[in-house]
Amino acid sequence: MAVLGLVLLGGLAGCGGDSGGNVIRVTRNIGGREGFRHHFETWKATFEQANPGWTMELTDLGNADGAQFYKTRIATGDLPEVIMTWQLTNFLADGGNLVPLPDSYYEQFGIPLPTPYEGKRYTSQAGMQIQGIAVNKAMWDDIGVTEPPESWEEWFAAFHKLQEKGYKPLVLGGREWSAAQPLFYALSSDLYDRTVDSGQASWTKRRDAGEVRFATDPIVRQAIETMFYLVDHFVDKGAGSDGYNEEQRDFYGGKGAAWFMGCWMAGDLEPNRVGFDMEYWPVPSMIGRPPVFICTSAMPNGWAVTTSATGEKLDKAMAVMEAFYDPGVYQAFLNGECQFGEAAKVPAKAPQYDWAPAQHLIENMSENLAAYGTTRGFHIALDDMPPPSFHDLMARVMQEIVAGTRDIDRLLQILDDEWESARKGM
Amino acid sequence: MRSGLKGGASGGRLRGATASLILCGPAVALYGGFIVLPALLGFAYSLTDWTGWTGTPDFIGLANFRELCSDTLFFKSVRFTLFETAMIVVFFTFFSMALAVLLDKLRVWKGLIRGLFFYPYVLSIIVSALLFTYLANYREGAVNLLLRALHLDMLAQDWMADRALAPYFIFTLVAWSGLGFFTTLYLANLQTIPGELYEAARIDGAGPLSVFSRIQFPMLLPTVTTNSVLALITGINLFPQIVVTTQGGPGFDTFTIGYYIYHLGYQKDRLGYAAAVSFMTFAALVAVAAVQVAVLRRRQVSL
Repeated sequence: MAVLGLVLLGGLAGCGGDSGGNVIRVTRNIGGREGFRHHFETWKATFEQANPGWTMELTDLGNADGAQFYKTRIATGDLPEVIMTWQLTNFLADGGNLVPLPDSYYEQFGIPLPTPYEGKRYTSQAGMQIQGIAVNKAMWDDIGVTEPPESWEEWFAAFHKLQEKGYKPLVLGGREWSAAQPLFYALSSDLYDRTVDSGQASWTKRRDAGEVRFATDPIVRQAIETMFYLVDHFVDKGAGSDGYNEEQRDFYGGKGAAWFMGCWMAGDLEPNRVGFDMEYWPVPSMIGRPPVFICTSAMPNGWAVTTSATGEKLDKAMAVMEAFYDPGVYQAFLNGECQFGEAAKVPAKAPQYDWAPAQHLIENMSENLAAYGTTRGFHIALDDMPPPSFHDLMARVMQEIVAGTRDIDRLLQILDDEWESARKGM
Repeated sequence: MRSGLKGGASGGRLRGATASLILCGPAVALYGGFIVLPALLGFAYSLTDWTGWTGTPDFIGLANFRELCSDTLFFKSVRFTLFETAMIVVFFTFFSMALAVLLDKLRVWKGLIRGLFFYPYVLSIIVSALLFTYLANYREGAVNLLLRALHLDMLAQDWMADRALAPYFIFTLVAWSGLGFFTTLYLANLQTIPGELYEAARIDGAGPLSVFSRIQFPMLLPTVTTNSVLALITGINLFPQIVVTTQGGPGFDTFTIGYYIYHLGYQKDRLGYAAAVSFMTFAALVAVAAVQVAVLRRRQVSL
């Protein structure tokens, strides 16, 4: 018994604590993305060269957002020393798991100061990520549309023309998170003020205060009706079986004219040897606004140092954070994620690809980004965000629509009920 | 002499107690540490608003249980779980019995055919579920490809995402993967029926139906009890099959209780509320299982 007890205690004790040795563990969502892997390897090599005797160890989160992994590690007291935070920064900070970064860190690289959370800043500002619509240029040229349509009606008219020419207008899978994209675009671009400092509380804050509801907001109702039309006319039977991978395969395989997907999709063109020209167009409006890209990195969502790093490890964890902005590492990051640089003092400003279609796409993205601008949508600040599960909720509403639900009041009620339920988890 | 006997008896009791402690102690300690204690902690968490992000949950009394009473998604999950469980219990209790009786009659390729039925059970649930996900894909799944090859395109369906078909898709997956196990339990029970009973029935001129209804079925009742309880547990615990295949969709249509608890705890960060749902489910299951076992035990026969 005594031996068994000692073994058990020893085992349990081994669950907590740091990794030991001269190792800094860093999380990254590599999964199967070669661009992300290349970035991590470049980052690791740069850090290890500048810090002899120290190792930067990868903890690959795959395609997950890390929430489950982080909660488990918090429970065992074993968070890696440097972690990607995404929209989880406030949860991690509330639990006292993050080390605040000094303003000098941001100034060193010319990074715009992220919005503070309860007076403190925690994360690197990795880069600017935008969401828009990728289009297969040849198909759109074939129907004579060379400029982005301005409204959803114009998009639908163009989709009908594409169908008449025998093209599949849109790739959309209903099985996973990516099902949410069209609804997310409609809500994010039209429900929120385009100027965050307009003086009026955001829709999120008004929803939380009970001043507005999905069920009674005419723009949300219009968005759902728009989704009905989209699904009824342009989404194939069987889309419910498909997910992100099928969408990507169809679009990269030249089988679809448009893909509602974030700019990171461009980072996969070279590894997948996608050989045709694409453009990246802004999100249309339902209510007469100009089209716009959605900026999804306005909130602080980069890497952060955790309280697992103490003493010398804290210094080395900061060295990892600084190595992120090494020009070669930052360029690899911008390439892999297809993001635009925000660190003014770092020479890397935008992705640079050797693969011609990828480079053409990023140049088109830059051009259109300058022409149409961005809205933050609901990505305003850490204390002004919908519940983290909101994207999943939108995906489920879209699944309902793909599965044939046309009871708009029921769908709006689901949005309200689930929003309130998810808020209790914050 | 009397005191010697008395001393011997108490010494024996002491030795017995020591032996019990040595033999049972480790198991009790492990069970207590890894099952009972977490269950008690789970109940404690159900009285909090714990999100999993902090180490200090706030006590909120019975608020989670009050919310549960009006949680439409919870009741939707309960209805779906019961629907699946009903199909699973009936199938594993009766269909696997019929299959076992038929397999028991086999005289050729007995081992091979029994093995074929048992084979899916050897696969992990995750592997089986992934396999079904590939089979059921609308465009490229083997089922629809076969239908199209047979010019039966109109029968090709979105098996996982059509809300009318998804519940049966989940059931088919569970039935396929578990049939071998439940059938094997019946087959084992069939081997214990004395040959004299069959011989007597043959002499009395009993047909196959009479043999089944008068001999086999009553003798299989202990396994009916076991299988129905195990099938009930299988149905109520439906979770990995959902995670790998439908992920609760389309919408919330294939949310089981287990998936709902996961959804609350890990997608909505409501671990306190998820613990409350778990506790209520546990209490309900204990009650159902107690009634089920009591009813079925009364119907068992013994030699």
